[in-house]
Amino acid sequence: MDPIILGIAVVNGIILGGLYGAIAVGLSLIFGVMRVINFAHGSFLMIGLFIPFWLWQLFKVDPYVSMIVAAPALFGLGYLIQATLIAPLYRRERAMVLEPISALMLTAGVGLIIDNVTFMAFGPDFRGITMGFASKALWIGEILNINYTRLIAFLASVAITVALSLFLGRTDLGRAIRSTAQNRDAASLCGINVMRIYNVTFGLGCAVLGVVGCLMIPFYLVSPSIGLAFGVRSFITVVLGGIGSIPGCILGGLILGVVESVAAQFVTATSASIFSFVIFILVLFFRPTGLMGMKA
Amino acid sequence: MKGQRGILIAMVVMAIAVWCPAALAGEKVAEVKIGAVLSLSGGAANQGIQTKTGAIVAAEEINAKGGIPALGGAKLTLIFGDSQSKPDVGASETERIIQRESVPVMMGAYQSAVTTVTTEVAERYKTPWLVTGSVADIITERGFKFTFRPNNKAVYDANEQLQAIKTLTQETGKGPKSIGILVEGSDWGKSHATNLRRLAKDLGYEIVLDEAYSPGTVDFSAQILKIKSRKPEAMVIAMYTPDHIVFTKQSYEGRLDIPFGIHSVGAGSEDPNFYKAVPPESVNYMFVQEDFQIDITEVVPWTQPVNKRFNEMLGYGLTAYGAQGYSAVYTIYDVLQRAGSLDKEKIREAFVKTNITSGPALIMGWQKIAFDKDGQNLDAHGCVSQNLKGKRTTIWPVANRPQNLKPVWPVPAWKDR
Repeated sequence: MDPIILGIAVVNGIILGGLYGAIAVGLSLIFGVMRVINFAHGSFLMIGLFIPFWLWQLFKVDPYVSMIVAAPALFGLGYLIQATLIAPLYRRERAMVLEPISALMLTAGVGLIIDNVTFMAFGPDFRGITMGFASKALWIGEILNINYTRLIAFLASVAITVALSLFLGRTDLGRAIRSTAQNRDAASLCGINVMRIYNVTFGLGCAVLGVVGCLMIPFYLVSPSIGLAFGVRSFITVVLGGIGSIPGCILGGLILGVVESVAAQFVTATSASIFSFVIFILVLFFRPTGLMGMKA
Repeated sequence: MKGQRGILIAMVVMAIAVWCPAALAGEKVAEVKIGAVLSLSGGAANQGIQTKTGAIVAAEEINAKGGIPALGGAKLTLIFGDSQSKPDVGASETERIIQRESVPVMMGAYQSAVTTVTTEVAERYKTPWLVTGSVADIITERGFKFTFRPNNKAVYDANEQLQAIKTLTQETGKGPKSIGILVEGSDWGKSHATNLRRLAKDLGYEIVLDEAYSPGTVDFSAQILKIKSRKPEAMVIAMYTPDHIVFTKQSYEGRLDIPFGIHSVGAGSEDPNFYKAVPPESVNYMFVQEDFQIDITEVVPWTQPVNKRFNEMLGYGLTAYGAQGYSAVYTIYDVLQRAGSLDKEKIREAFVKTNITSGPALIMGWQKIAFDKDGQNLDAHGCVSQNLKGKRTTIWPVANRPQNLKPVWPVPAWKDR
């Protein structure tokens, strides 16, 4: 294998991996804090893709500008779904130990509803936007080209993760979220409104998808069933990096991206995903908490 | 003994009484019901609705012109059943329509998986079934007596792509020696690749890249990189719409030069949505193996009213799936004219003797519809188009190519465009 080709494959993998990481961040945050596996994650991403698509289609709003609409919209939606649908499940459990199966079923149901309502409203078509800028690429030498929109998506993904980590580490609300994740009874005793923290956390996890959707739509596409493609991959990313760990998400994403990209140079792409799963199993075997996860 | 003879006579009389109206029906029936099971909802709803619309347009035309003369001017009534894009629902809908509506002939059902089972039900009820759009080889390889397929088998598609390359090579004296294959990694893509491999070997092309990818992929840079390093002189690809959008955008960004073009087997590249989602320049000079002659409404004048009516009903011009429905109803019209009866066995016999060489049934761009002993139309073919000046123009078979049109071959490199 030509080392130049291999090098390019690594670069492409890193670019893609950053994005995988950013998609999974919300899932990791929600699971880390609430212990809820959000099965509607892909559906929220789908909404995050549809918002900039329609803003572009109807009003020619630049997708990067659409973030100021998409992120709050998804925050609101996440907040609302948590407050009205998931919160009653917590209240039902006196000890606030959430039955994982019921929350899982609930989010899966929410995902189904979101997908099908979108399907009814917009039909099954695949849609994408074509901006002149989106087809331009940064050329390094003759064969290495990095599409600008993908490069922006990668850099922004890293920025989102750093910002989220700082937010959790440095702000009062962030500390409240972390303390709730560590021990909700103790947090509650310290005067933290746990239910509100849950609402905010769920909202935040969804808001990230609003931003990611705006970053992706210039080079990707959207249809009501598009979320499915990202569901499984996000779970792998999260478990690989360590559940609840934000930097771990990016690391997990990068590993997935690079492995897929490099392996695809040697074997056919459908077999290349075998390598991702092998790594996944090895990590689970030797480090069950993930690469950057804390000990349970 | 006498009593028994009496009963026998009574039975014969009753049999005649029951049989007679049916036998006489050939002369004066008010309507002829055609059953159509299509994917009107679910994953393939888009295509099913187009086929339905095409069928309605054809039935409207036939009825406006006075129905079916051989059946005393009987009007056509289409009875639609929704397969919901699922084989089991398709089968039960077929059963319902045959039993409750007592239709003498059926059509459908676009998806191969659905048609494979609905034709089984139809065979059991001895009801002729005209296939619309399904390409799986097995459908006409089971020795069924009541299944008739006017359109391509899957293996024809791969053959046509390579034959088009060969024709262009013969015309210009220039052509590829090596071929790359990139297909989606599920049923359709993989079986297409298998057919390509076999046929390419027979035609003496070297396969330098043979790659499948997982459907729903976000990124084709690994595959594009691989293509660049293996340097095939022509690429044959099989992709559904979403993957095709991502691939086309990325190969455009990456200025992927393939001297003898990218040859896409129609699916993603036949979907109008695909062309809305990619920059127009990115599909220039791309070859598409089409289910029908995409520019037929421009070259064949009588198809224009059909195109207009279709557009009124769906908001866009005639598509391959619409044309399939239209063609099917006209084929059934031709069959009923020759059968002169609603008896299923007579209709079957008329199907077997079909030999259509002109008229609306050939809107797909075929030269002939006639069925072999397995019910397959051996004269079925798709067309290969090339995207020239932002429009898909048929370039193969040469008989369907517009006069004076010269395909661009080899295709110019990106830096020369």
